[in-house]
Amino acid sequence: MYVYLYDNFLRQKKYDSLVKAMEVRLTDYGIAGKILRLNNFIDPKQIVDEEIRRGAKTVIIVGNDATFGYVLSKAATCNCIFGFLPIGPDNTIAEVLGIPEGLDGCDVLSKRRKERLDVGWMNNRYFVSQLHIRPAAIKVIYDERFAVTTKDKMEVVVCNLQPFYWKKDKKDKNEQVVHPQDGKLEAFLRPLTKKGWWGYNYEDPSIFPFEEMEILSNSPFTVEADGKVSKEIKVKIKLAHSKVEMIVGRNRKF
Amino acid sequence: MIFQKSTLKNVSEEVEMVDNMPSQQPSDEVETVVGPSVNVEGDFASEGNIIVKGTVAGSVHTSRFLSVEIGAKIMANVRAGSAKVAGEVKGNLKIRESLELTSTARVMGDIEVKVLSIEPGALLFGKVSMPGLEAGEPRARTRTARRGEEMMPTEE
Repeated sequence: MYVYLYDNFLRQKKYDSLVKAMEVRLTDYGIAGKILRLNNFIDPKQIVDEEIRRGAKTVIIVGNDATFGYVLSKAATCNCIFGFLPIGPDNTIAEVLGIPEGLDGCDVLSKRRKERLDVGWMNNRYFVSQLHIRPAAIKVIYDERFAVTTKDKMEVVVCNLQPFYWKKDKKDKNEQVVHPQDGKLEAFLRPLTKKGWWGYNYEDPSIFPFEEMEILSNSPFTVEADGKVSKEIKVKIKLAHSKVEMIVGRNRKF
Repeated sequence: MIFQKSTLKNVSEEVEMVDNMPSQQPSDEVETVVGPSVNVEGDFASEGNIIVKGTVAGSVHTSRFLSVEIGAKIMANVRAGSAKVAGEVKGNLKIRESLELTSTARVMGDIEVKVLSIEPGALLFGKVSMPGLEAGEPRARTRTARRGEEMMPTEE
């Protein structure tokens, strides 16, 4: 049995026709199922667990990167197969998974090509796409073997599925892309150096593939994992191998 | 290449860069980059290629390619598959295949390598040993020793 988790933004009128067309296509393939709408007050893990208890085998996330991260950060441990139907703006993960946007996504779903994905683990919760630590005076210890420090502040981005986009400064028009590798988490560290009295300049990023990392600081720093923001003093990040079973496309990038 | 730039102009620059690289360098993607103004302390080990632009203290180990860029500082013993040094290294280098010292390189330490190339202008203070010479050395010693023995009785 299939369960579809729709993001709240799909209620907007502009998505009506596309959502209806997708539902028709899914019915044609015989994979239509129960539709549940997500909102900020719903815990995805609770819903997914409940549906699994009722006999659901496949849970399809319908929305964009934020929806995907929101559901899987909580429900990654659930014993079911996940799928993804990308709709709307900000869909970079779908490209990595090889799932085209809109109606064509249903075709990939019907083929049911399954792969096990690695997810990141951060202080007792999972993150699927990206973890971002805003510029702060931090110390990073990799695999308990070596430590990375800078003179001033440092920004850290840990990528699992989502590629890392960066520019040298605001004026730089060439956005550069680094694609994460499979089987490891990738940490991008960008130190900031002082410019004038108030300004800061971003340096070129350092790249470290790792399986376990610890970030320490004397003062609290802001951590954003799959869109959820929190303040931490110590963060432990690990890679959980093959945690999520997912339906992927032939054109996937791993 | 791991860094993908969108414009065609930049793509051509990248191709030029690849052409300039030494033939010994593996064509695999760069996996670890220590950026400028970053300090690494401890046992820095990686399974893939390493590019150092900042400072590393402790020890460096990779089974593949290590590149020490201009302005980079390594204060550590280094073990690598092959390496290209354009920065400063204070410590012993044990390279399995080939080592290239460019004109800006400053190396203070012993080098153990199979193939070594040094550009004019590179600074090196230390002992260089290559595995190919080990077999030839004892024979040369015995010849000189024999000559010495032969010379002795004639003098008597």
